[in-house]
Amino acid sequence: MNFNFSEIRVLETRYGTAAWNMALDEVLMNCVTDIPVLRLYGWKPIAVSIGYFQSIEEEVDIQKCNHKGIDVVRRITGGGAVLHDSELTYSFITRKYTENILESYKLICDPIVACINKLGFDARFVPLNDIVVNGKKLSGNAQTRKKGILLQHGTILLDVNVEKMFSVLRIPSEKIRDKMISDVKERVMGLNKTFEEVAFALKESFSEKFDARLIVDEITIEEEENTKNLVKEKYATDEWNWKR
Amino acid sequence: MKKAHNIYKSKKLIKISLEYDEFNNIIHSIKITGDFFLYPEESLDRLEVSLIGTKLEKDSIKQNIENCLSDSEIFGFDSDSITEAILGCSREV
Repeated sequence: MNFNFSEIRVLETRYGTAAWNMALDEVLMNCVTDIPVLRLYGWKPIAVSIGYFQSIEEEVDIQKCNHKGIDVVRRITGGGAVLHDSELTYSFITRKYTENILESYKLICDPIVACINKLGFDARFVPLNDIVVNGKKLSGNAQTRKKGILLQHGTILLDVNVEKMFSVLRIPSEKIRDKMISDVKERVMGLNKTFEEVAFALKESFSEKFDARLIVDEITIEEEENTKNLVKEKYATDEWNWKR
Repeated sequence: MKKAHNIYKSKKLIKISLEYDEFNNIIHSIKITGDFFLYPEESLDRLEVSLIGTKLEKDSIKQNIENCLSDSEIFGFDSDSITEAILGCSREV
């Protein structure tokens, strides 16, 4: 199958709350046409997202999050808990994709690898869902498929604050906190570039990878309304966030 | 009814919260959580429901998992590791 697209709809939706960010991803999945969507965004306030199969109770120190004003939300995608702080987050939503899950991760991670390399690094895709530079992870990605539509979203780390991450995520025991912090510091890195620099390189890389013209767009009034409703009905509810 | 928990490290972490009848060794309720990937996602809900009433022993659990996830794609664990994760609950002291 040929995975070139003639056009990609680009949405730069700036900084949103956790519930709004996740609701908009789902809304875009529900209304994507044959033109795929590349969305770039950030999180304000900073937030923890947990994987679809995780439990807030097990993964997140909810009292600390509440105290620090950190949002918490469940994603529709699997994978682990992420503290969304200094990063660029993207979503890519498409009706055209390969059924092979590993190949589809690679397909969408390729332009991210290219983006990071444009910025002067030597990145590579590590299946299933990571992108690393010199063995250090700087991008995690997760996808879901529903009704013939694929959504992949992921983060590109700009900077890493491991202490902050461990201050809001639950760890098996306090005794190993310092060891875990030093391990993660060894295994994770940020690009040390601005959001705008990475956004520019990422758009260019998606255009090149899929031989597509970028159509810079805004979300429609209908998409905005549907997102607000989905925040209320799903992503801001305990029923969804505390589902497991 | 006895409650038990287990954390099992496969390629990803699998966390099990189990309630089972100690006398006849039957699963009463189960919650499986973790940072794995499973497609379609809803198959985990189906698996949890299907495990209710299953005997807490290797062959029954493994067969149940294999039946339930036969059309699913799993990344981060397999039927052996999730079976071990569940059985680990009953080995807890």
